[in-house]
Amino acid sequence: MVFKNIICPVCGGSCDDVQVNLDTKNRTIDVQNACKMGNAKFQEVVSSHRILKPTIRENGKVKDVSWEEALEMSADILVNARRPLFFLGSETSCEAQEVGLHIAEYLGAPADSNATICHGPTVMGIQESGMVGATAGQAKNRADMIVYWGVNALESMPRHMSKYGVFPRGYWTKRGRFDRTMVTVDPRVTPTAVASDMHLQLNPSSDYELLSAMFTILNGKEPHPSVEEITGIPISVMKQTVEMMKESNFVAIYVGLGVSSSYGKHRNIEIALNFVKEMNNYTKCNIGALRGHCNVAGFNQLASYLYGYPFGLDFMKGYPRYNPGETTTVDLLREKDVDAAFIMSADLVNHIPADCAKYLADIPMICLDIAPCPSTTAADVVLPGVIDAMECDGTFYRLDNVPVYFEPFTESPFSETKSNEDTLKQLFAKIKAKKEA
Amino acid sequence: MQALLNTGSTINEGRLAKGGNKYSEDYTKECAVCWMCAEDFTSLGCPEKVSVTSRDGKHTVAVRSKVTEAMRSGQVFIPRSIWANVVVEPDTFSTGSPRYKGAPVSVEPTDEEVLGAEEIVLTLYMGGE
Repeated sequence: MVFKNIICPVCGGSCDDVQVNLDTKNRTIDVQNACKMGNAKFQEVVSSHRILKPTIRENGKVKDVSWEEALEMSADILVNARRPLFFLGSETSCEAQEVGLHIAEYLGAPADSNATICHGPTVMGIQESGMVGATAGQAKNRADMIVYWGVNALESMPRHMSKYGVFPRGYWTKRGRFDRTMVTVDPRVTPTAVASDMHLQLNPSSDYELLSAMFTILNGKEPHPSVEEITGIPISVMKQTVEMMKESNFVAIYVGLGVSSSYGKHRNIEIALNFVKEMNNYTKCNIGALRGHCNVAGFNQLASYLYGYPFGLDFMKGYPRYNPGETTTVDLLREKDVDAAFIMSADLVNHIPADCAKYLADIPMICLDIAPCPSTTAADVVLPGVIDAMECDGTFYRLDNVPVYFEPFTESPFSETKSNEDTLKQLFAKIKAKKEA
Repeated sequence: MQALLNTGSTINEGRLAKGGNKYSEDYTKECAVCWMCAEDFTSLGCPEKVSVTSRDGKHTVAVRSKVTEAMRSGQVFIPRSIWANVVVEPDTFSTGSPRYKGAPVSVEPTDEEVLGAEEIVLTLYMGGE
């Protein structure tokens, strides 16, 4: 059976035009319009390695258990911990994340999501400076200059250039690519840089200096000559780039982890946002983050409107606190400041530094996921995950913070749960029963 | 050789990770790789494999080497994965985000075996359990 307009649950692009032909009899799935990553994820519906049974680790051996036993053991771990960490990953719906946040609040625990190891510094930069933003559709219809700064869009969000950024024909950009100038700022010669009209190959960790020099040029002053050696970019090229921006009708800047994860972190983003604000004295200019995980923006939105902070929340004192560097996942694990962990829809062990991953493997860990990965290997309890946008409905937030409601084209393969939200609600009920007994 | 480590996506890393194939040989071939320029590769003696060590010397990981024009001298790249994160510095500068870009590392030729993702978890993180 063919299903159209399916939302892709892989990256922040949340492509909404995926066509799926699911053959339930032969267990095959044919996917159209999705990128390589999207297609691979859709194959998970029929894959042979899908986690279909809950498991627990007992005396070093992994064994299959019933859902009831797995949920009981999970509840025991979380209730008995003094300070469990809730890592509510982004490859699931806001609805599931909301239940996770409520459990963390109930237990007085820290709660975090993928933003903490992704665009967390970007969010902090926005808190410092405010953001001149736009939806992806605005950029598609209006932008005649695109800047990819510290992001390899062709490989991290493969359809961004064709769907929103560079190639689509918009209302004011009817010739698509021919109406746009594309600039990439990256220390590597990435495929995105190769596809650009101009590549500023700056030295690593010199984003702040380059932005600062361009800000100076924008204000009509001459930057200090030493900036050429520091950034590796001639001042004449910086001036040319600033002039190109000023002469454009609408500039859309997309930043990636190259800016927010390099030395300088949120200060890089802060000065980029201030530069964009200043640029709006000359032309329309906006900035947006290319969010790598499908609903990473959703957690920020959800946690902000429920509890006032976008990530790295700590309910230890009975009310939400937010102090990046103290209440954020990597710092909590590095300082051994938690004694159990619940990891949902994110392979945390794969993506954090060794000291943190080692400690995470040492403490009791519950992992909810769909496929074998380093986190499921190190987990004490593995709960099978339901694939959002394929097997259940819910809400994602796209890279530009636009909420996207998704509907499934097939059902959860489990009779015990309909969605990750459902699994978490069952877990919450068990936690409450144990805590209030 | 001292170098600055950059980590990030590649399309096949994404395809294999999102497709649940982190324990496949293809994933190891794609991600357990250290990209460097020809000049640095030659100065290391054209090794097939290199060991990458974190600045504090605490963590080392063996990966295959790859020569590419995408890199400049003194800079290396490992696709974002468990291999890269073994040597990524855990300090977050009070932001929560470790130094995925620009961490100083040392790169030396090695004959050590390149471990799979599961072996890294079992040996490095779980102490051989």
